[in-house]
Amino acid sequence: MAKKKHTDYVDLKDQPIPEGQHLLEVDNLKMFFHTEDGVVKAVNGVSYTLDRGETLGVVGESGSGKSVTHMTIMGLIDMPPGKIEDGDIRYRGKSLLEMSEQEMQHVRGNDIAMIFQDPMTSLNPVYKVGRQVGEGLRLHRGYSKQEALERATELLRLVGIPSPEKRVNEYPHQFSGGMRQRVMIAMALACDPDILIADEPTTALDVTIQAQIIELMKEMQQKNGNAIIMITHDLGVVADMADKIMVMYAGRPVEFGTADEIFYESRHPYTWGLIRSIPEQAIDEKKPLTPIHGNPPSLVNLPKGCPFAPRCPYAVDICHEKEPEHITTETGHYSACHFADDPEFLKFAPDTSRSRGKIATGMPDTLEVTEDATKTTGSKKTGGEA
Amino acid sequence: MLYPSPTQRLGMEAKATSDAQDQSKSGLPSRTLWGDAWKRLRQNKLAIIAAIWIIFVALVAISADLWAPQILGSPTSADTTAMATSSLQPPSLEHPFGTDVTGRDILVRVIYGARISLTIGLLATAISTAIGLVMGALAAYYGGMFDTIIMRCADIFLAFPYVLFVLCLIAALGQSITNVFVAIGILGWPSIARVFRSAILSVKENDYVDAARSMGASDFRIVARHIFPNSVASIVVYATMNIGSAILSEAAISFLGMGVQPPNPSWGIMIQDGQAYLMTAPWLMIMPGLAILTTVLAFTLLGDGLRDALDVKMKDA
Repeated sequence: MAKKKHTDYVDLKDQPIPEGQHLLEVDNLKMFFHTEDGVVKAVNGVSYTLDRGETLGVVGESGSGKSVTHMTIMGLIDMPPGKIEDGDIRYRGKSLLEMSEQEMQHVRGNDIAMIFQDPMTSLNPVYKVGRQVGEGLRLHRGYSKQEALERATELLRLVGIPSPEKRVNEYPHQFSGGMRQRVMIAMALACDPDILIADEPTTALDVTIQAQIIELMKEMQQKNGNAIIMITHDLGVVADMADKIMVMYAGRPVEFGTADEIFYESRHPYTWGLIRSIPEQAIDEKKPLTPIHGNPPSLVNLPKGCPFAPRCPYAVDICHEKEPEHITTETGHYSACHFADDPEFLKFAPDTSRSRGKIATGMPDTLEVTEDATKTTGSKKTGGEA
Repeated sequence: MLYPSPTQRLGMEAKATSDAQDQSKSGLPSRTLWGDAWKRLRQNKLAIIAAIWIIFVALVAISADLWAPQILGSPTSADTTAMATSSLQPPSLEHPFGTDVTGRDILVRVIYGARISLTIGLLATAISTAIGLVMGALAAYYGGMFDTIIMRCADIFLAFPYVLFVLCLIAALGQSITNVFVAIGILGWPSIARVFRSAILSVKENDYVDAARSMGASDFRIVARHIFPNSVASIVVYATMNIGSAILSEAAISFLGMGVQPPNPSWGIMIQDGQAYLMTAPWLMIMPGLAILTTVLAFTLLGDGLRDALDVKMKDA
């Protein structure tokens, strides 16, 4: 097998974006799995655009197609059983779907890199961390072993791992979960990619570490100017990070808009459900969360009409019969709901104005926390005495 | 408070030592996977005893020509002159394992038998492993029809009565020691293929394989650098244990008269020779039986030890 040298490739990320196009354009992407049980419509008409320095949050339940969409962009879906039925993915004006496997191998890790959900299993247990962080550099940049190791040390320092000279020579099992996720970030950023796809990067971590990792990703984005696609099931995670948010349900985007539009002017009952199920931080009394009842529909036999209708508390006849079109506002905020432009209907939306500016985060501003904490303790004490 | 209280001081000390331990833990000289495995293997006394025993048996068998016949007499030709007097002697200083019906020393025959047994164990396992690795890798990696065909073949192989199959194969290939290796080796592949296939399948599902792909690694690189190193442990372990069962198979085949032919000694044949004298001269069977037992047991224990040593997750445990 003749080994192709890195110099044989043209780095796509060095090419200018054609006039009028975006860094990444996903255009009516449809990816179905052909299984024995039938056709699983995992990705069913996803479109969006992304520019450098932007962050897109992709939110949805398990099985909503958010991960599969992005695995498809990376070309990581086995085909068969997967098959692209329609649509295109263009990166700097070049269709990723038309690329050969070899070209895609050069795009992966070099132009578009990915961080996975579980840092405990995403590192190969038999190799030292330094070698894994440097793997991309050796693959794409033709670094020597020594150069790759030196660069890996620098990268580990950059992502905030203490005494990286020592840590590069350790195995993944010698790292804690948060540290491993930092290693994953270092690995993904090694080749300075244009787009960083983060597939639930904080789900497996505890809250304090979550905030650190998100902070780190933002910081790295400011340094490198890369775009981030943040896949999560937790609206809170993308709240203060994302510029745009796409809410996915049953393989299709049901609402798309800026982060503010999604949080404060949401026009889709599914998004409302997601917002209502965020635990509120400032609570004086224990209040039950409001879950979305039921389960996502089977992607093999999608119900007729709106896929969310069976779980939607506001569903009426038309919802069970006709699939809603995207209703778009002038700012580009769209919602796949028949009533998205009905002001009467929108009155059902959760009242988030109260929490404007603080819903976001894993970390509300400090003053409020202290106040609430005192309050909570106070009321508990009273309860105890009584 | 100006001075730390004793408890605080204790607490601080405790913290300091735990810090020092952390330091020493992370400050260990960096080692390779195999270096670490060796370190863990050394702590497993049973496995080390087993390894020493195997090395001892191997050294004795290899060097046998240099000293054994001179001290103990020829392993093959009967000592006709002394036959009347030295036949079927119980173990003694002169003949530590006793003598057989033609007056040959049992110890020297066990030693020469070890040559055959160890060679068969290693060669047959090498053949099985080579076939099994290729088959298992093909089945796991290409899947689909390939997988079905290979694994159904393996099932058919495994469904046959093993000894009968080996006997048929030897009958077809012709009776010779080489063909005993080949027959045992060929028939050993299905279980290795199964073990390797399942190892690859489970490793393939790991996130780090996806992560490597997402970094732009090619299929070949993924198999060679990520899948193989993570599944090789189970193969090493299985192959080690397989050596033991190949030795047993040879003994069984020779016992049935289809393997090594007299007057060449092999442990199986010696047991067969001895069975007529089970009641009168039990050492004829016991000594080669003990040789089989200890050697097979040693390979099994070593395999167990290797499995623990090669498990990365057991590190620092």
